[in-house]
Amino acid sequence: MLTCCVKFCGGCNPRYDRGAAYARLREALADAVSFSLPEEGRAYDALLIVRGCTGCPYLYEDIQAARRFPVHSPEEVEQAAAFLRSLAAEQQDS
Amino acid sequence: MMTKDQYIDSLRKLNLNLWMFGKKVENPVDDPVIRPSLNSFAATYELAEDPQYEDLMTATSHISGKKVNRFTHMHQSTDDLIKKVKMQRLLGQKTAACFQRCVGMDAMNAVFSATYETDEACGTKYHENFVKFLTRVQEEDLAVDGAMTDVKGDRSKSPSQQADPDLFLHVVERTADGVYVTGAKAHQTGFINSHEVLVMPTISMREGDEDYAISFAVPTDSDGITLIYGRQSCDTRKTEEYNDIDVGNKVYGGHEVLVIFDRVFVPNDRIFLNGEVKFAGMIVERFAGYHRQSYGGCKVGVGDVLIGATALAGDMAGSAKASHVKDKLIEMTHLNETLYCCGIACSSQGSKTKAGNYLIDLLLANVCKQNVTRFPYEIARLAQDLAGGAMVTLPSEADFRTPELHDYIDKYFKGVASVPTEDRMRVLRLIENMTMGTAAVGYLPESMHGAGSPQAQRIMIARQSNLEMKKELAKKIARID
Repeated sequence: MLTCCVKFCGGCNPRYDRGAAYARLREALADAVSFSLPEEGRAYDALLIVRGCTGCPYLYEDIQAARRFPVHSPEEVEQAAAFLRSLAAEQQDS
Repeated sequence: MMTKDQYIDSLRKLNLNLWMFGKKVENPVDDPVIRPSLNSFAATYELAEDPQYEDLMTATSHISGKKVNRFTHMHQSTDDLIKKVKMQRLLGQKTAACFQRCVGMDAMNAVFSATYETDEACGTKYHENFVKFLTRVQEEDLAVDGAMTDVKGDRSKSPSQQADPDLFLHVVERTADGVYVTGAKAHQTGFINSHEVLVMPTISMREGDEDYAISFAVPTDSDGITLIYGRQSCDTRKTEEYNDIDVGNKVYGGHEVLVIFDRVFVPNDRIFLNGEVKFAGMIVERFAGYHRQSYGGCKVGVGDVLIGATALAGDMAGSAKASHVKDKLIEMTHLNETLYCCGIACSSQGSKTKAGNYLIDLLLANVCKQNVTRFPYEIARLAQDLAGGAMVTLPSEADFRTPELHDYIDKYFKGVASVPTEDRMRVLRLIENMTMGTAAVGYLPESMHGAGSPQAQRIMIARQSNLEMKKELAKKIARID
């Protein structure tokens, strides 16, 4: 199963409900992706960065991940879901 | 770090000498008047536990390398300064009140750098003392109140010229082990909910004021400390039988106490300034600067809630589509975001101190706070405009719960048919709470006077505006030699 770390931006003035968007994504990909919060020293297949607005510049380089998906809106969360599903499928095929 | 529950349990162990309405408060934690303010402070612990907010609420200690609550952190970059403002906006949004922990954070950052520079000039060991204190604060995730404002007596006289020497906190006895201090600190928001108090001088000092140039930290329940709770408008609504709707904000609040020090002992290793009059002003200026930056975050978050409540009131009254309503909500947002711009600007233009932590741009921080002394009043005026008269003529919750009256109130205070009257009452009471009730203390007069009254910022703006350079610019353009 694809491992995906999720990191929230901090949420000073989010333009959408980041928690709810993430919860929907997690539910939609429950069969293909294993989500978790960052754990020190662990490497992930993907890092989902849930930003509340476009003002957040951080990529969290200290978290080891093969792919990074910064998202700023519910639409981008959905796009990330599609990418994550295709990555999971690729991983399964290989 | 402490959890919210651990923090609340830790407060139960404090033995505060607190008085309110003429009586000693034996259990501040569960007192209905005090508890909402405690809940606001506790939110600084609660949100730090939540992955959705930890990126703002926590930082990496430059001392231990461990994760600490940002309220105990020494800012290590302009990025840290920006995150501080963002964290404060977040907490303002979540509590709609003063969450009180900023003062200690700002005091610690000011004293951290000022002690370093005092030691450098005077050969003292204050920075070592302070770092030892800070290390414990970070490791145990302690709540620290920053206490600066003396009661000041006759404003035309310096501390040592006052008729009563205690009108500025001062050293009354020196021993081999430490000092005894007497005096009072006013308007203390976070004291009751803190484990430690970090005391600072209130103004720049001159020769003759040595006993008043004192900075130190002691536990908030030290022998000799007495607290007198500040009265707020509508405060006793919290003690009424029906105390849900009418209070406006049931869970969160803010408060202030007068803190009296009567021969309180301060051990040597808790002293961070002791007679070096020249450095009192440095602490004052830096603390004020940090705290003026803070207002560009916390009051903006509270403003977010007030704007939301006002928009809801419009929705519930059926007036949301009126052009003037839309325009006034835009104006409120414009004013609120302007304050945020100021908070972010003074943070992004910060610089490194000799001690290694970061200080905001002092000119921009003072401009930020100067705007905060004005804009929340205009935002509140617009909120009251859009809320309408019902905000202040609503019957009480007790009337609403009375069977003989309930249906009348339900019928005649209804706006849009699909919205329950009780919901409308709740929103109107929230606006009342924030613009003229208990929370107005934090949103309006605190915006005016907290971190210094307007004139204090104007003095700093004048000092740093570099008017001569501007004159030279004009001369050059006008071709004046």
